[in-house]
Amino acid sequence: MSSGVRYNGALMSGGIARRLYHRWSLRLFLSELLAKRWMEPAIPFVLMLALIAYFGAVTPNYATWGNARQLGREFAEMGFVVIAMALVVISGGIDLSVGSVFAFANLTALGLFQIGQLPVLPVIAGTLAAGAAVGAVNGVLVGYFKTRPFLTTLVTLIILRAVVDLLSQHYSVQLAMGSNTSALWDFLGGGALLGIPSNLLVLGIVGGVGHVLLSRSRPGWHLTAIGSSRKAARHAGIAVESTLCLTYVASGMLAAAGGLFYAARLSSTGSDTGVGWEVNALTAAVLGGVSLSGGRGTVARAVIGAVIVFVLVNGLVRMGFPGALTSTALGAVLLFAVGVDVKWAKNRVKAIQKIYLNPTVVELPPAPSTARDSGTPFAENDRLRDSEEIGLDQVEGPEDVILDRQDRLYCGTRDGLILRFSGPRFEQREVFARIGGRPLGMAFDRDENLLVCVGGMGLYGVTPQGKVYKATDETNRSWFKLNDDSRLRLADDLDIAPDGKIYFSEATIRYEMHSWHLDGMEGRANGRLICYDPATRRTRTVIKDIVFPNGVCVAHDGQSLLFASTWLCSIFRYWIDGPKKGKIETLIDNLPGYTDNINRASDGCYWLALVGIRSPAFDLAMRNPGFRLRMVKQIPPDEWILPGINNGCVLKFNEKGEVLESLWDPGGRKHATLTSMREHKGWLYLGGLENNRIGRIRLPDADPDWNGFDDYWRKGKA
Amino acid sequence: MLKTTRCAAAALALAFAAAADPPAGLSGANSSAELNAHALASLKGKTVAWLPVNMGVPLTEIWTKVMREEAQARGMKLVMRDPNFSTTAGLQALSSLIGDKPDLLVVHNPNVQLYAKELKRAEEAGIPVIQVNMVSNYKTAAYIGPDWNAVGRLLGQEVIRQCGSGSGKSGKVSVIQGELTSGVSIGQMEGLNAAFAKDPSIRVVSSQAGNWDANKAHDITATVLQQHPDLCASVGFWSTMEIGAAQAIKSAGKLGQVKVYASGGEGKVDCENVDSGLITKVLSYDAPDQAKAIIQVGSFILQSGARPDAFRVANFSTLHWMEKGKYDPALCYDWTL
Repeated sequence: MSSGVRYNGALMSGGIARRLYHRWSLRLFLSELLAKRWMEPAIPFVLMLALIAYFGAVTPNYATWGNARQLGREFAEMGFVVIAMALVVISGGIDLSVGSVFAFANLTALGLFQIGQLPVLPVIAGTLAAGAAVGAVNGVLVGYFKTRPFLTTLVTLIILRAVVDLLSQHYSVQLAMGSNTSALWDFLGGGALLGIPSNLLVLGIVGGVGHVLLSRSRPGWHLTAIGSSRKAARHAGIAVESTLCLTYVASGMLAAAGGLFYAARLSSTGSDTGVGWEVNALTAAVLGGVSLSGGRGTVARAVIGAVIVFVLVNGLVRMGFPGALTSTALGAVLLFAVGVDVKWAKNRVKAIQKIYLNPTVVELPPAPSTARDSGTPFAENDRLRDSEEIGLDQVEGPEDVILDRQDRLYCGTRDGLILRFSGPRFEQREVFARIGGRPLGMAFDRDENLLVCVGGMGLYGVTPQGKVYKATDETNRSWFKLNDDSRLRLADDLDIAPDGKIYFSEATIRYEMHSWHLDGMEGRANGRLICYDPATRRTRTVIKDIVFPNGVCVAHDGQSLLFASTWLCSIFRYWIDGPKKGKIETLIDNLPGYTDNINRASDGCYWLALVGIRSPAFDLAMRNPGFRLRMVKQIPPDEWILPGINNGCVLKFNEKGEVLESLWDPGGRKHATLTSMREHKGWLYLGGLENNRIGRIRLPDADPDWNGFDDYWRKGKA
Repeated sequence: MLKTTRCAAAALALAFAAAADPPAGLSGANSSAELNAHALASLKGKTVAWLPVNMGVPLTEIWTKVMREEAQARGMKLVMRDPNFSTTAGLQALSSLIGDKPDLLVVHNPNVQLYAKELKRAEEAGIPVIQVNMVSNYKTAAYIGPDWNAVGRLLGQEVIRQCGSGSGKSGKVSVIQGELTSGVSIGQMEGLNAAFAKDPSIRVVSSQAGNWDANKAHDITATVLQQHPDLCASVGFWSTMEIGAAQAIKSAGKLGQVKVYASGGEGKVDCENVDSGLITKVLSYDAPDQAKAIIQVGSFILQSGARPDAFRVANFSTLHWMEKGKYDPALCYDWTL
């Protein structure tokens, strides 16, 4: 029965160009690229490189080591101030006082060093303390008294500037004429280590540590969370007041560090020291991709923005632009950056959504007939019509069902529960376990633990006592893939090999449980088969790039594994043992419906659920990716052509892949979207992804004692 | 006046010629041709880099205009950077100019410290540096501009004449400094203090930084006038800034009653302001002449072939008093022409 269908959906017809085109998509790459978090500052990063390249090309002596060092030295102080500003902006506030703190620190450092004649280390400590003190004033006001950051720091800016002016009036000439020197002071101002200017080196260290702290540590996450939503952060138990206060203290200290290096480098008490730097810093931060509305940004982005502003201003100065024009240009850049910030933040997700879906060609031959008089094993009948109902309106979406040795019936539900029905007619309903996520496929292991694939979470287990444990939630990450595919997104169905290894399918790594049907629109090989070995606790991907792998079933002899590919309407066999170990074969293809779970039957055959029935229209749509793309983009989802899932159908096939019979519930009155069936002691139990019940029908010819657990784990034993 | 400057410059040239290696065998029939050739070759195609504190005021505009003309006349090129009163931009411009390795660097220091290290670096890079009007704590080959100490002294003596003992006035003086740590402010303040020390009746009631900003001078003066309605004189360290103080005095209806003194070299604007009585007296320096001196001294330095740190000289600008109807019309330059 098998033809050339491959589990990854590789095309059978057309030239190599067509095949490659539909296999790899630039849009796919782009959409995954855009979805990366580090892509958020992509535009600023490119802009930074472009600016450097441009000025390098038009300015003589620009791209030289000496010039780079000089620029680095001049840049570093501004870098500190920008990081100071960015921290506060990320926390959802703004610190307009950074320029004043910078000037104040400059004056303090010079005062302590020239007038106080203190050694350098106390000067450093004193200057940073002065910055921290100003920051603390801001922090206490904003954090504890909940004043508006804008006004608060504006006032600090003005007061501190006045203080600086007053102090300058008295001391600046004395400071300008001071002659105290020290080797360490000169090192701070003009020294270099391994050719890197001292101030740039310290900026690098502070920036690196700051970046890691902000993006990968608890306090950093708290800070970002507060910036996103102060209220939500408080509800999450974050100490909002103290975190905010400390943020402003850190900001003050960073700005003071900038001032300290400035003092050591220039010994200048010019009246315009730090004037307008708050605007420059804000421009830089926003330009780098630190959102003005808070909660979004990193230190690295702030530094990128700072480099852009610095290179731009420096370049314009070098090109001899009149000073006023340079300021205007910077203002224009700020305006542009704020505009882009707003638009980008608003539309990035939309843009990704727009290009995320990348349909490809799925070529299926004409489906076999399912007409009642067709004489095929697929001929429609009413055998599921009279199923008995279990738990009617007591369950929501039992995707898979399973029974234990005590004839108790288990199923997962949409709300993340595992339910257990017991009693002669399963009238007793109890919550067996609460896992969360979306419980899907289930299987019992040798120790009667219930293993469950949980969509959105991974592979979990429940002990017979109802205790939930995590088996695995990640696999090895594949190389050369932009999407981090190590986390399990949509573990779907599992089965357990005789050696105890758990094989499970992950239907797609590009969509979530709630959007699984979009994977169908795409028709791409986004899924994989994964193996978890409880003995070694290791998880690894066995087969990559499968078109929506769904049901998984270990064959009766335990040497191979059957898995269903839903959109290809096929069943494949993967050898896990024996001479053919590692090989993948097509067992059945071109079925009339979309394949779902596979389970063993008592007579050595297999049961297969068809979640939907093919239609010529949808088959045609699957051949035309362009059509599907237009459809998805241009019309609302409720008008899309989707697979027909308003039918219930179970097939039985044998080891050779021959379909023997089918059981139907036409129109899906009781069992639409039928996803699973489980044979147990002469009955067939039916589960459905969207159903409000579990059904069962009597199998008159089946072995009335056969049950899954014994078949798997007690074969040949008493 | 112009002649004196030229004489001074010529004397300077002689001094350089003695200090540096003269081209060999400059005597005899061919010597004129050789000197010509040496002078031309030393200057032709050379670049003069010029970094003012800002453009857009008569002083720096006329400097730039005349320097460019004079440089071009000698086959040199002038490049200019305008930091627009921003010390950050100024410093960056200076660093980049040093990186560009011009043959001569002319700077106008915002304050005595800011450029000091960079000027040293420039000399180490082999670039001779001339400082104009506002000098740095780090002295370079030449300073061209007024002796600010003398300017302060002369202004102080004039104030004493009007407001000091025996004048019957209050003796109260308000001083509007520029940028406090500018060489211009420091020098004038020292001169003023030295002069005032000689007359105990003079009382400086306010000495504040106007930071070269007329608005600031206006605000300071308006406040001082309220505290001291009997103010006798206001002294400003730059005429363009002092206009603000004069306006405040005019608004208070005390024009003529409070004497207004300033130093400056703003050409036509200064002439108009003394003529209108807004400013009582301006102690002026001839800005176009300063610009010529810059290029002349620079030309000598380049011809001398001396190391950038071989000498430290000053060429002080001649000072001229200007008052209503009494000034040399040559001082009333119009840079826009």
